[in-house]
Amino acid sequence: MANACGISAHTGESGAVISVTGRIDASSAGLLDTELSRLIDGGERAIIVEMGGLEYISSSGLRVLLAAKKNLKRSGGDLSIAALTPFVREVFEISGFLRIFSVYESVEEATERKRLTG
Amino acid sequence: MNAEILDLLVLLQMICVIIVAAYFITRTEIFTEALERRLSFRGGVYLILFFGILSIYGTLSGVEVLGAPINVRDLGPMVAGVFCGPVVGIGAGLIGGAFRMGLGGFTAIPCSLSTVLAGALGGAIYYAHRGRPVTVGTAVGFAVGMEVLHMGIVLLISRPFETALNLVSQVGLPMILANAIGMLIFAKLITNLLTERRTKAERDAYHEELQRKKAELQIAADIQQTFLPKSIPTLKGFDLLAVNCPAREVGGDFYDAIPLGQGKTGLVIADVSGKSVSAALYMALSRTIIRATATWHPEVSLVLADANTIIEEQSDSGMFVTLFYGVLDEKTRTLTYANAGHNPPLLLRAGATDFGRLMPTGVALGAASEQEYGAEQVTLLPGDLLVLYTDGVTEAINGSNEEFSEARLMETVLSVREHSSREIIREIRDVIDEHAGGEPQFDDITLMVLKGV
Repeated sequence: MANACGISAHTGESGAVISVTGRIDASSAGLLDTELSRLIDGGERAIIVEMGGLEYISSSGLRVLLAAKKNLKRSGGDLSIAALTPFVREVFEISGFLRIFSVYESVEEATERKRLTG
Repeated sequence: MNAEILDLLVLLQMICVIIVAAYFITRTEIFTEALERRLSFRGGVYLILFFGILSIYGTLSGVEVLGAPINVRDLGPMVAGVFCGPVVGIGAGLIGGAFRMGLGGFTAIPCSLSTVLAGALGGAIYYAHRGRPVTVGTAVGFAVGMEVLHMGIVLLISRPFETALNLVSQVGLPMILANAIGMLIFAKLITNLLTERRTKAERDAYHEELQRKKAELQIAADIQQTFLPKSIPTLKGFDLLAVNCPAREVGGDFYDAIPLGQGKTGLVIADVSGKSVSAALYMALSRTIIRATATWHPEVSLVLADANTIIEEQSDSGMFVTLFYGVLDEKTRTLTYANAGHNPPLLLRAGATDFGRLMPTGVALGAASEQEYGAEQVTLLPGDLLVLYTDGVTEAINGSNEEFSEARLMETVLSVREHSSREIIREIRDVIDEHAGGEPQFDDITLMVLKGV
């Protein structure tokens, strides 16, 4: 399916990881928003969004990530990104989001870094 | 004719009368009131009379089927009780019962009593369901049970017992069947009616939602068009044109050409995150802010830094805008620009075949506070061509989900580089349309072409 978008979340000892796959556009951005809001409302403070299987992200998707990041920052938490595919990396690069978000090669690297920096 | 067939014909006739009566009463406004449990006093009286008369008909139409007298006297009060409540049920039962009492006979008392009981017990079922509709199965089951009870009462009260037993053993089964069939007809009609009404309500709600969505799309489109420039200023030594083709659900793209005096013009192309009304409002806000900051500062980097600060303060839902801002100086033929996370405009020098990209110099506006934007400068000589666009151009997809892509955009521009900016824009649009091949346009398509002449 062209517009399929998969979102799954699991919570571990070092925080929550959301894996997104497929395409995040205006119509599927709402799903990601719902999932992130659920985690944040549930008290989660450190969220990693794993994008290894993400083929496309539109500005609506970036907006959801940015809103979640701003939301988490207010309560002393953070949202980081792991595993960018080339296309998504380019979107992050051009929009300047690469500078705003902490971006890691993998979920392991993200959790490791977080553990070191406390 | 065979006597048994005649008997069945009479039974069929009775069923037909019940069907007509059931059809008639279930279509009335009063019956709707009863189903919705908001029956008025007047409505109640009418229903008691109707089902009372139906009960009398049930007595009068009593026929001999296969040698046994059977009747559907209990049917009216049962239906009245189950679907209209105990008051209507007992009321109809009293009318039917009183009429039966007047006819006399050794079963007068048990039969009259059963008819009133049919209404009362039906009412109890109505009560027990507390607003949930009674299913066909429950209603028919009740009719069967009620007739069994009816027979029991006859055996209990009527004397001599032998005669009563003889009668019951003859009419018992046919009575149960006739009343069950009558109830089945009513219950079926009523549940169909309820389903029909629920479907209609759902359809209405869906239609309303659709209308609301349509109005929203129109409002968003109106806002966007209001905040686009009415005309593009004529520049000395340059051929400038821009168009915006909004998607059905507008994406908040905009462009602008702001006269700054002394032969300078501020050029803007931008894409607001999100869709529809929120994007359109954010677009209106961003355009107004850029117009203001563009006139405050001569330096493009400060124009964007200030705009970012203002927009970021307004942005609590993650809204941001990618925006390219350049000041074109007609005298020096320079374009000084800062790019806040926008798709890099493509620069094609006269005679060259490779494109230059005016890369971002900072982060999208509204995304983070206290950002710096830097500034770059290019000189635009006659024959040089600058194509500014939003991602609706490069991300326009075809049936197999292939994006139009920057490569196709470059290829198209190369093939029409000698034309005027108007023709170049028209050509790019045509090629995008051809690529999309009827696929719906998901995002706004905005193009600005600046050509040195």
